[in-house]
Amino acid sequence: MRYFLLLLTFFTAFIGTAQETSTLSGYVIDGRDGETMIGAKVYIPSIRKGAITNNYGFFSLTVPKGVYTVEFRMAGLDTETKEIDLNKDVRFDMEMATKMQNIQEVVVNANAEDNIKSTKIGQLQLDIDEIKTLPAFMGEVDIIKTIQLLPGVSSAAEGGQGFYVRGGGPDQNLVLLDEATVYNAAHLFGFFSVFNADAVKSVNLIKGGMPANFGGRMSSVLEVNMDEGNKKKFGVKGGLGVISSRLTVQGPLKKDKGSFIVSARRTYLDVIMKAAIPKDSPFAGSSYYFYDLNLKMNYNIGKKDKLFLSSYYGKDEFSFGNLDDNFQVDMPWGNGIVALRWNHLFSSKLFMNVTATMTDYRFSFISSQDEFRFALNSGIRDWGGKIDFTYFPNTRHKIKYGVDYTYHTFTPFSVSAENDDTVFDTGIAQKLYSHESALYALDEFDINEYLRINAGLRYSMFQHVGPFTRYINGDISKPDSTIEYAKGDIIKFYHGLEPRISLRWLLPDRSSIKAGYSYNYQYVHLTSLSAVSLPTDVWYPTTNLAQPQKGWQTSLGYFRNFANNMIETSVEVYYKGMNNLIEYKEGALPSDNVNDNTDNLLVYGKGWSYGIEFFVKKTYGKFTGWIGYTWSKTERLFEEINNGEVFPAKYDRRHDLSVVGSYKLGKRWVFSGAFIYATGNTLTLPTSWYVQNQELLFNYGQRNSTRMAPYHRLDISATWYGKEYKEKQDPATGETIQVKKKLKTNVAISVYNVYNRANPYFLYIDNDGDFLAGDFEIKVKQVTLFPIIPSVTWNFEF
Amino acid sequence: MKYLLLFFLAIGLLSSCTKEVEIDIPGYEEQLVIDGRIETGMPPIVLISKSKDIYAPTDLEAFLGAFVSGATVTVSNGTTTIQLIEMCTDNLPPGSEPFVAEMLGIPEADLASVHICGYTSLDPLIFGEVGKTYSLTVVAEGKTYTAETQIVEPTAFDAVFWKPDGDLTTHGYSWATLTDPPGQFDAYKWEVKRINDDGTGNELDANFAETFSPVFDDEFFDGLTFDFFYDNPFGYDEGVLNEHAGLFPIGDTIVIKFSKMDAAVYDFMEKKYMQLGTAGNPFATPTNIPSNITGGALGVWAGYSPSFDTLACQP
Repeated sequence: MRYFLLLLTFFTAFIGTAQETSTLSGYVIDGRDGETMIGAKVYIPSIRKGAITNNYGFFSLTVPKGVYTVEFRMAGLDTETKEIDLNKDVRFDMEMATKMQNIQEVVVNANAEDNIKSTKIGQLQLDIDEIKTLPAFMGEVDIIKTIQLLPGVSSAAEGGQGFYVRGGGPDQNLVLLDEATVYNAAHLFGFFSVFNADAVKSVNLIKGGMPANFGGRMSSVLEVNMDEGNKKKFGVKGGLGVISSRLTVQGPLKKDKGSFIVSARRTYLDVIMKAAIPKDSPFAGSSYYFYDLNLKMNYNIGKKDKLFLSSYYGKDEFSFGNLDDNFQVDMPWGNGIVALRWNHLFSSKLFMNVTATMTDYRFSFISSQDEFRFALNSGIRDWGGKIDFTYFPNTRHKIKYGVDYTYHTFTPFSVSAENDDTVFDTGIAQKLYSHESALYALDEFDINEYLRINAGLRYSMFQHVGPFTRYINGDISKPDSTIEYAKGDIIKFYHGLEPRISLRWLLPDRSSIKAGYSYNYQYVHLTSLSAVSLPTDVWYPTTNLAQPQKGWQTSLGYFRNFANNMIETSVEVYYKGMNNLIEYKEGALPSDNVNDNTDNLLVYGKGWSYGIEFFVKKTYGKFTGWIGYTWSKTERLFEEINNGEVFPAKYDRRHDLSVVGSYKLGKRWVFSGAFIYATGNTLTLPTSWYVQNQELLFNYGQRNSTRMAPYHRLDISATWYGKEYKEKQDPATGETIQVKKKLKTNVAISVYNVYNRANPYFLYIDNDGDFLAGDFEIKVKQVTLFPIIPSVTWNFEF
Repeated sequence: MKYLLLFFLAIGLLSSCTKEVEIDIPGYEEQLVIDGRIETGMPPIVLISKSKDIYAPTDLEAFLGAFVSGATVTVSNGTTTIQLIEMCTDNLPPGSEPFVAEMLGIPEADLASVHICGYTSLDPLIFGEVGKTYSLTVVAEGKTYTAETQIVEPTAFDAVFWKPDGDLTTHGYSWATLTDPPGQFDAYKWEVKRINDDGTGNELDANFAETFSPVFDDEFFDGLTFDFFYDNPFGYDEGVLNEHAGLFPIGDTIVIKFSKMDAAVYDFMEKKYMQLGTAGNPFATPTNIPSNITGGALGVWAGYSPSFDTLACQP
């Protein structure tokens, strides 16, 4: 705490006061629908000063008094200029794109050079419209799969939603939907993302140089902001796809003051399965579907206050039945998220955002056979609050500070089992309670024309509190004794300082060098018994036994643009160290959690990752796209695993290449393609076999010592846009005029895995035959999930 | 939970295709494999072999060649220590054939035609007794391996019964009522054989057989009395109708062998059947089966205390 206060004092002293300045502040708004614009640039060319709108579309720019021509720039829109008298503070909300523009003919990236000039290192912003034109798996536009095409980010497995950033685990990514944490961002065992692209406004990935206002995870932040809804008029958009359909309705609550958006999506695999499985089949009761619902409302209360209510509810429902055996499994899981936010302007220089969030993730597995019934539940519920201030004292400083708090309730395992009238003793349903909080402050400031620094400090705290039962194990995994903690007892308190710094040194010729260092604490863990991400992976908090994960990352990058900023390039190197990583003990079984604490089954180790990332992006023109290449190495060291020897992480990949391109042909066609090449994942296979009591058993060798064949795949897509205008005779003049159509449509055709590459999903050892008959064989088999898959989606908007 | 893992595997396999691949699997090290057992009233028997590279030949010759001869094997019950003698299937002492046949899974009549060697003793002083701890010492190729196992107090069923399954009237599972001893660790193994006349005057099954996942412990039901069932391991043979799979037809007479074991043996067995049930499943952790043998050998030295019940499958 002492350091935190010192830092605040430092900031205040550094900022200085008493200049003859005025402040231009306000919101940048999209004139077409009244939504605020994130990342719009407000720039005064004569003094070469500017500001960028925050996640709420707000900007503040303090400059010497005078009259200025101010430019407002936004990617995809023509730059607009206004003459503004800044001899006094001015509040000015800019509505852009009020004039007719052809959005598809993007001329220049309005945020040109932002990649060079900002201190952001390891940060990438994705354009949602660009994502929508890329090839989509089964026609489902997918944010996470697009993220996986970026350098430094790799997918867990074919089609999976788990993503690994610079050697970190999938639990080390902070996924935020309108500032609320999303614990499981996947549907259908990971093949689809929970983010419905129709309801998403912007996507930002931070994979290094994490600013101090974010915390709780070691590797990355994925910020997804939902659309706010049209403040001008009502509208409907949607799409019909091969396996799912979407519908979005939006409109003003009160014109230009408030709006709402409701977006729903549902798959109909269950309908297809119902038609495909005969009624007299023993599997007639099997089905699967998922749905999700996004709702957001916002309202401007006067000029200084805005309220936002965002919510998400999504659920997967899986049932599997075998009538012959009276066997039934039902498996529902899903997220519920609510975020209420209040923006308040204390002054033209001080912006506040207060957020209250609730996140609930549940997973259930209920099976029954005859009289036997077994149920397993796990989940996590968070209540959170955050107060965040942004202070814009002058153009050289942008200061953020705030406080963050979350109350966690974890239910790692709750099991019940009964057989007819007998209820089995499955232990107490364990819940774990904890308080997680943080104070933070950061300042992005220009030391001089060349050097900009973003320095911050986060002080995080975590309390594991009662009620809690600690099992102390004997030899045979049964509790020899327990320690009971009462409600509110502080079982363990952890805290630590997390310094963060990134700096940019501007070089001539549109280039810069950037460097970053960040130290992070992570107080939650994802325990996974399997080699792939599954809903059965259980979140587990730091306890008196499970220590917080601690990680640090340092990175250095060179950024240079070419051809009038049309080509952006960068090279980044990084080294990441991680402590207190967790794994299950060798031989642990899920059922071991009964009458035990999960952390008794865990072992702790460390890991490291280093690599170099190359990125080339063509940002505008008829042809756009990028090439990303990563060379990296990721290793783990656990005293109790692999005989205490270093082993490669399961997602250790030496090479990762993505080539993504889009080509606009005329006004009505967009063709896209994405090629991916990645070194095969590692896995642990048996190295030998032996026989015990007539049965063939396997003995596994070194952890992750086998590497699967390389993964590569090409996807292509073509999107056809219907005519936006129709010709009509003007009744007054008799002339033929062009009238904008009310209904806009497009058809997106995608082909996944064009050349039908049989990529390995996993390998297993298959044995068959009889020793004594002499026909016994052991083979290594590779399972491939997806062959070539074409899909078509019809999208509409009116 | 393992059903859940299997279920995920099924999902993966349903939507996928599979092919054989050649891939480098580094890290093979040859290890001694000790497969020993002793049960109440029976002699100790120990088979010693070696683990084989995953790509090693798997023909009969390779299988038979894996057995290790010339080891010094001793078993002690605390008061009596006996060195086991090496015996081969083609030269067995009279009376030991049924037990060896069951242990190796080879029909008694075929024993003489294969040459598999093991270690045993026909001295009744070292036959299994309830409550005793048996220590095993193996000296092979200059290395010493040791293990201990206990023959624990058996727990017999309160009752065994058969009842038709669901809407069927002629087929059903074998059921049992068990009262688990409270306040202690108990682990069980269920095996069964049919003793109906096979038409030639012999019993239908020569040896006991296990069904899927035959071992369980009392983690969930310590001290409780409850009914449970097991399926018919012979009920999946060719010619059995789908709706009768795993069921005993009315008229079968079966013997249920219900054995208890100590915690270390259960640990081995639990992980073994987990591996057999989920081998290759990407959703399961690659698990080596924990041996209770020190010195770096694979396998188990297992003591069992069975109790037997005969069940006539009648309503």
